[in-house]
Amino acid sequence: MSPRPYVEVTDLRKVFDVSKPWLNRVIERSPKQFLKAVDGVSFDIKKGETFALVGESGSGKSTVAKMVVGLLGVSGGEVTIDNISMTDPAQRAQRAKLRRKMQMIFQDPYASLNPRWRVDRIIAEPIRAFNVVEGEANIVARVGELLTLVGLHPDDGRKFPHEFSGGQRQRVAIARALASNADFIVCDEPTSALDVSVQAQILNLMRDLQEKFGLTYLFISHNLAVVRHMATRIGVMYLGRLVEVSEAKEMFSHPRHPYTRMLLDAVPDLAMSGRARIPVAGEIPNPINPPSGCTFHPRCPLVNERCRAENPLPINGVACHAVVEGRTLLMPVPA
Amino acid sequence: MSDPVISVRNLQVEFVTRRATLRAIDGVSFDIAKGEVLGVVGESGAGKSVTGAAIIGLIEPPGRISGGEILLNGRRIDNLPPEEMRKIRGRKVAMIFQDPLTSLNPLFRVGEQLVETIRTHLPMNERQARDRAIELLTEVGIPAPEKRIDGYPHEFSGGMRQRVVIALALCAEPDFIVADEPTTALDVSVQAQIISLIKKLGRERGMAVMLVTHDMGVIAETADRVAVMYAGRVAEIGPVRDVVQRPMHPYAKGLMGAIPTLEAATDRLVQIPGSMPRLSSIPRGCAFNPRCGEAFARCFVDQPVPLPVAGRHVACHLYETVETVR
Amino acid sequence: MNQNVPPPPTTGAPAGRLARAWDSDLAYSFRTSPVAVFAAVLALVMVMSAIAAPLIAPYDPFDPASLDLMDGFTRPMQPNEISGKVFWLGSDGQGRDIFSAILYGSRVSLLVGAASVIFSLVLGVGLGLVAGYVGGRTEALIMRVADIQLSFPAILVALLVFGVARGLIPPAAQEQATLWVLVVAIGLSNWAQYARTVRGSTLVEKNKVYVDAARLIGLKAMPVMLRHVLPNVMGPVLVIATINLALAIIEEATLSFLGVGMPPTQPSLGTLIRFGQQFLFSGEWWILFFPALALVLLALAINLLGDWLRDALNPKLR
Repeated sequence: MSPRPYVEVTDLRKVFDVSKPWLNRVIERSPKQFLKAVDGVSFDIKKGETFALVGESGSGKSTVAKMVVGLLGVSGGEVTIDNISMTDPAQRAQRAKLRRKMQMIFQDPYASLNPRWRVDRIIAEPIRAFNVVEGEANIVARVGELLTLVGLHPDDGRKFPHEFSGGQRQRVAIARALASNADFIVCDEPTSALDVSVQAQILNLMRDLQEKFGLTYLFISHNLAVVRHMATRIGVMYLGRLVEVSEAKEMFSHPRHPYTRMLLDAVPDLAMSGRARIPVAGEIPNPINPPSGCTFHPRCPLVNERCRAENPLPINGVACHAVVEGRTLLMPVPA
Repeated sequence: MSDPVISVRNLQVEFVTRRATLRAIDGVSFDIAKGEVLGVVGESGAGKSVTGAAIIGLIEPPGRISGGEILLNGRRIDNLPPEEMRKIRGRKVAMIFQDPLTSLNPLFRVGEQLVETIRTHLPMNERQARDRAIELLTEVGIPAPEKRIDGYPHEFSGGMRQRVVIALALCAEPDFIVADEPTTALDVSVQAQIISLIKKLGRERGMAVMLVTHDMGVIAETADRVAVMYAGRVAEIGPVRDVVQRPMHPYAKGLMGAIPTLEAATDRLVQIPGSMPRLSSIPRGCAFNPRCGEAFARCFVDQPVPLPVAGRHVACHLYETVETVR
Repeated sequence: MNQNVPPPPTTGAPAGRLARAWDSDLAYSFRTSPVAVFAAVLALVMVMSAIAAPLIAPYDPFDPASLDLMDGFTRPMQPNEISGKVFWLGSDGQGRDIFSAILYGSRVSLLVGAASVIFSLVLGVGLGLVAGYVGGRTEALIMRVADIQLSFPAILVALLVFGVARGLIPPAAQEQATLWVLVVAIGLSNWAQYARTVRGSTLVEKNKVYVDAARLIGLKAMPVMLRHVLPNVMGPVLVIATINLALAIIEEATLSFLGVGMPPTQPSLGTLIRFGQQFLFSGEWWILFFPALALVLLALAINLLGDWLRDALNPKLR
């Protein structure tokens, strides 16, 4: 028996109440409205690997990230990290210990650092909160060490966030995430606000740190090329559901779900290889009123009656009737 | 090739602040021919958007065009009085912005905005203008345009809204369009559709298109030629295939290597050390010298100018000593 | 790999804090705004002379022994016909020097104004912060109370509080307590504005991810609010506080004018104006005019400063 995975997410659900205010509902006689942001998502992450969730806006990938770290309550399902449940109220005490090992890096480096705090204070906050090291001198030394680790100078700690560029701020955020000796880091679009040359620096840094400390990443992104560079395994989300989970290599060479295929084909062809691509069709439907059956069916080239009626369940990591039934995509011949 | 539609010669744009006069654009030159798409790519602070704004006369104080000239069909437009420039804008040159929400008035139906724009620039009555608006919506790929024309902007999805904005830009059949990050606010799957639309329209209508973006992938898919900008200067400009696949300027090389791709799974991305300098502290000589692995003495003294090398222009001292092959 | 050391900012070392403050955008905007400089100088002169009243006042207007009825109704700058004393701004019916009375009066006015602003600021900011951060029913309750409060004229609320306090405090202690009753009355009539503003900014700041980052390390709501959110919502509050200081001084003057404010033994500018208006039609205009002028100048200077601060802190106008 293989050891239990480090992170286990089982049938995770999140429903948001997006109804109008009570008075408006009464006057307009409109019913309450709910948005299923996350609908039955299950995956697991092994220690030391990078699991990526990709999807477009409204896919619910960031909502999953927030629920995993406990910033957002769950509407259903379970999250277990290192054998401690994040969702079971009875395990509150154990969870407090888990906090220290679990941190997050956010998308917008301009909003993720308190603008009124100096950088050394920002990085020291988790150290103080978890009593990682005792004594003022030791804290200062540790902050300097962390700054050096992420490629900044210890003296940079005296500066305010606005004195740094976007990439440098993201380095500060990474230093903060490492300050409590975390070993599981949730990265929510960590480079999508950065320029490409800076993005490369941050991605390389994150990989170096992973190697050095054996970090486990949950990596959220809409950029497939970035994901390909970072991930060990990948989950593709569409309208709150996980439509495919595969090994990274496998997914890029043999995408199984038609949506994965479409996403791959939508990525601009930088190498100008002239690879065969199916033009993308349609747009993401309104998540408040999702299509029946398989939510991807209005955009799917392989749609049939069953897809319109019945929501496919994941089998072998793919939730698609067509894959199960062996209906395949006819590829246009490369020119 | 025939005469260029738009021709930018040694353009300089400055912003006057109380501390210093900052040069946002420093000697940028390029031409765009009829039916050609020029991609202008660069990271934030490279001056690509300012260049676009300068061409269509949207530089507001404290910024000003402090040198060079801009020619539209051979006629200078950078020194026109604001009133005359406003007539040209929309009629001869148009702009597509990043955020489709802000370029449409939420209080008016899409059709009203189209009809108003058409009638401002073309001698048409209400009926004709409406027919023309429907034609335009069809052309930009909006399904059931006869119905959708009476919708409000918020009733359109992000991608459809950007299509409407494109239709709006096409109203007066301009000769030249500046598209400033037209796909940045959109999802990947929608982005691909808008890219191919812009490309198709440029070809079919014979417009000159300046596509400003930070996304090399978008450029590779859309542009005929590409200008790589750095710190307000053009580092390299040439046919897209050459520049994207065999970049020569050290910055362009670094930039291309830094982009993760679907094809090659490398362990480490090429990284350019440091970041784009602030306008207030652009280094002397070549602006890229502090980040360049190949910089030598001259790079810290002389500012390189774009010179023809291997079918393109590169602003780098490395290539000045090399005999130009072609 | 050492490229990561960022280029030094425009000024070198962190030394020279003062020089940096002088160079900041706020200081620059101040230096280049003649109105702001004028208002600041005026306000500074008035505040300093109020604080230093015992040192600079030519007479002690509250020492009955030094008052002489013979000095009554002396015109400004003219020697008294009997005693030959000169009062710069004239004297009132009891021979009290108006200039000295104004100095002491603005002292009281400023004290009441500042104290009530601090009171309403602490109350309003606290409630607004809680409302914005906690949300739900707590928020609804606090904000509805604020709405109700705002639909009453401030002066009415102050009168009400004043009346209730009068009933509660034993008569012997009343004169002593008047100043603090006024502070509470005026403070209670102004907190809602702070609460609204702070709630709005808190809603914005709460959704920024640095707050999430703080929550992730297990901080409870209170430290997150005080350490992270509060410093980031104080900008607009300072503007309101400045403008409200002028309002509070005027409100105090109004209450005193209506006779429910400071007693004659401890007159504020408003009390002086109340006395003065009795003589307006009998030709002794200066008894009203100079205290009123002092009040207007004080309020104007503070208001101008507030206006400048609002514009200077508004990124849209820069």
